Amino acid sequence: MSASTRWTTGRILLLIGRLGLAVIFLAAAYGKLRPLNATPWTLRSLEVTPSSLNLSMTFFAMQVDSYQMLPTWAVSPFAHALPWVELAVGLLLLTGFALRYVCIATSLLLALFYGVVIRSYAMHLSINCGCFGPNEKLDAWTLVRDGLFFVFGIAVTIGAFVMHKRNGVAASASPQTELPAQ
Amino acid sequence: MGNPNAPIKMEVFDDYECPACDELYEETLKPMIDSYVAEGKVYLIHRDFPLPGHMYSRRAARWVNAAARIGKFEAVERALFDNQMAWSEYGTENPKGVMEPFVKAALTPSEFQRAQRLMRGCEVNTQEEIKGCALDSDIQHDIALGELIPVARTPTFVITYRGEPYPPIVGAMSWPLLRQFFDQLLSQK
Repeated sequence: MSASTRWTTGRILLLIGRLGLAVIFLAAAYGKLRPLNATPWTLRSLEVTPSSLNLSMTFFAMQVDSYQMLPTWAVSPFAHALPWVELAVGLLLLTGFALRYVCIATSLLLALFYGVVIRSYAMHLSINCGCFGPNEKLDAWTLVRDGLFFVFGIAVTIGAFVMHKRNGVAASASPQTELPAQ
Repeated sequence: MGNPNAPIKMEVFDDYECPACDELYEETLKPMIDSYVAEGKVYLIHRDFPLPGHMYSRRAARWVNAAARIGKFEAVERALFDNQMAWSEYGTENPKGVMEPFVKAALTPSEFQRAQRLMRGCEVNTQEEIKGCALDSDIQHDIALGELIPVARTPTFVITYRGEPYPPIVGAMSWPLLRQFFDQLLSQK
């Protein structure tokens, strides 16, 4: 395999990886922000109003509270911030802007989620996950899934750094060639 | 419990031996009963959902159902949750599963005798339905309702606002957050 083919393959894999992560984060944000009573993935579920948003955020705060991890005063601010952080991360991954740094943030978030899920599972907490919306059980499958997401996030982060380094090497080898953005 | 015509209806599927149910009751439901239920904002419905893994929860549910039939549901429910750490299998007292003294303390002597009469044929400590125990039919009814949701763990509760159900919530949570959710529902047009 030539260097050029390897470079193209790497770029395609990185693109697929970051789009995959973007989908995960956008789905997680959507699940938390959509109106509680709307059927998921329908047009009605996109009709977000200030009132429905308030209800969804408070509902998510109750789910965060059920993890029994944060002090009461911190639950609501955390629950109100997290969906927007997920949305921002999802959009940044989609655009590819500042990819290496966004990937680091993504991996840290996925590590946090994985850690929280492991803790809750170990404590035998009978709760819902709340990860992709209401009414989603936290069970062994959640543990496996979040573990895979974490590994996936790390892989994409490594890929982003490797491709950035290769871009740098290629740019210094042929300074006239303008490399496309990642 | 409360006004059946209240705008918010909350159905709680509980197991009397589950620690999280006790936590929900002590931290959330008690203040809610004293405020939003008493003020007619919330209609609280208790549903029995004794989990197969809990040795004494069905017998506890039978005692509470017996008390409910003589109009003493609230007192006996409170007595059993308040003393869960004494009588449950995770409790401090030996032998385990002795809940009668707490039921007795919550009732007058004549009420306790009436409850005892209703418990006849229901005393066997089994998680299986006892044929001939009328109290078990109420419990089975609640379990059947829970299985429709479906309830897999306790506590699970379902909130309905003006007939519109919201997704089930599993686990204990603090009263201030639940109150905030109720206030947001009540402020909806």
